[in-house]
Amino acid sequence: MKIKIDQLIIYGLLFLITLTMLVPILNIFALSFTAPDRVAEVKGFTIWPKGFSLINYQVLLNNAMILKSLFNSMLITIIGTAISLVSTAMAAYTLTRENLVGRKFLMTVLIIVMVFEPGLIPEYLVIKEIGLIDSYWSVILFKAVNVYYLIILMRFFEEVPKSLIEAARIDGAGHLAVLFKVLLPVLKPAMATIGLFYAVFRWNEYFRASIYLNSSSKWPLQVILRQFVVLDDTATMLGANNLLSYNEAAQLNFEALQAGTIVIALVPVLLLYPLILKYFTKGTMDGSIKH
Amino acid sequence: MKKLIKKINEDKLLYILILPALLYFIIFHIWPMTGMILAFQDYRIIGDNVWVGLKHFRILFSSPAFFNVLRNTVIISAMKIIFFFPVPIFLSLLINEVSNPKFKKYVQSVIYLPHFLSWVVIAGIWITFLSINGSVNQLINFFNLPSVEFLTNKQQIRWVFVFQEIWRSAGWDSIIYLAAIMKISSAIYEAAKIDGATRLQQMLYITLPQLKSTIITVFILNLGFFMNAGFDQVFNLMNDSVISVVDILDTYVYRIGLVNGQYAYATAASLFKGIIGIILIFTTHFLAKKISGKGLW
Repeated sequence: MKIKIDQLIIYGLLFLITLTMLVPILNIFALSFTAPDRVAEVKGFTIWPKGFSLINYQVLLNNAMILKSLFNSMLITIIGTAISLVSTAMAAYTLTRENLVGRKFLMTVLIIVMVFEPGLIPEYLVIKEIGLIDSYWSVILFKAVNVYYLIILMRFFEEVPKSLIEAARIDGAGHLAVLFKVLLPVLKPAMATIGLFYAVFRWNEYFRASIYLNSSSKWPLQVILRQFVVLDDTATMLGANNLLSYNEAAQLNFEALQAGTIVIALVPVLLLYPLILKYFTKGTMDGSIKH
Repeated sequence: MKKLIKKINEDKLLYILILPALLYFIIFHIWPMTGMILAFQDYRIIGDNVWVGLKHFRILFSSPAFFNVLRNTVIISAMKIIFFFPVPIFLSLLINEVSNPKFKKYVQSVIYLPHFLSWVVIAGIWITFLSINGSVNQLINFFNLPSVEFLTNKQQIRWVFVFQEIWRSAGWDSIIYLAAIMKISSAIYEAAKIDGATRLQQMLYITLPQLKSTIITVFILNLGFFMNAGFDQVFNLMNDSVISVVDILDTYVYRIGLVNGQYAYATAASLFKGIIGIILIFTTHFLAKKISGKGLW
């Protein structure tokens, strides 16, 4: 019986911990779907909207700035992830070839990159020097190759049986064929994990975008969101078009609008999250069950 | 020599494959690293920068603003080391005690999630979470206590950072300990069970000691980041009422460097930060090696 009580306390405690994460997020969802005149009824523990309304999303998705920023975010995320994934995989392939002349030098570069962070200002000045200020490329190429992911991928490459690669080589396959037709298909889960991590990082990035991109028309969603939520910029939140088309603008609730913007920024991550769990934590979770 | 050239020529394609990554490291990482030399110069928009030696460091070390920022950085980081660091360990021990696989999966799926949210989204959620109508104040009111304005309160704001860090990262950081727990041989537990050890005893005398080297490694890594103190948190929750107690080195560098345009002076501040970081990581590494025989490398 005593063991039962121990377990009860542990289960209860863990359940409470998960609630501290779920309730604030669900609360934001509830707020965003609540009718503007009933927002005051939505308290911290409310997880269901009061008087269902889509007005917040109507306003937000009619805001040209939000639509543009969504487009920017997708552009940066898709191109950035593709570039990151391909260059990381290619680098990992070269670095795991034995007898490569200069391998030691290349590994030293990796270690230097891992240990020493360049300062914010010199980084900014380099971007300026090469003319990337106010260009999408400044944000796409920021952290384009993550050294940690590169090293993880190298480990995976090393674990692929050598016979598999040798067989392909004997059949006349070149390096490109070995990489793209032998290694990557075998390592699909690893590539998926790293790709998802790159994508989430890119989607969530806001700080470099806000310092490198001067024109607000190039801002990704996270920068716009920060403008609304952190800096309380209500004028941008409504958007010029909306002020004209909605004469009930005065009745809108900014708290609910802010919540709606958070949800828009959150949903893509929530959509990718099951995939992340599937690929990344598979080993961790399955393994933990047996004990 | 001829053989070497022939080998390089044969592997030409391999060098082309690594070229994008290498170029990226050189242009976006190593070049700006060498740019840290700006800390010893005066920045010129036109023409070469002028060498000024330690001028910026002298100004830095005689500036009360810098010392306030340094103090905030140390206090916030120390609070996190003391109050955040043990939480993932505790969490992994709790999760390890869960025998129902479905519940375990549910817990893990939920507690890893905040790690994938952007700092702006987290700030947005927390601003609502800590507002007058938010759940925290609802709870406080439930116990008949007056509401607290956490985000504009100098006494509370640093605690907000500690709890936000726990909320965001404790779950994710518990993964490394869970992985280490899984590697512990089940034979040890079997033997302990035969000897009549309770689950709590197994946790305290087997699991925890087995985690020692993982704990030390993570601790050293954390100390290496000691001077960071959480830029994104501060940057997104900072306001005029609390700036004096939350402004940290990184936000200071951003403000004087990119907002005020004092590039060289800001670089001096960030070089100072970098050097302290390196000293910290080496010191703790050697201390750990001395105490436990196991360091980071």
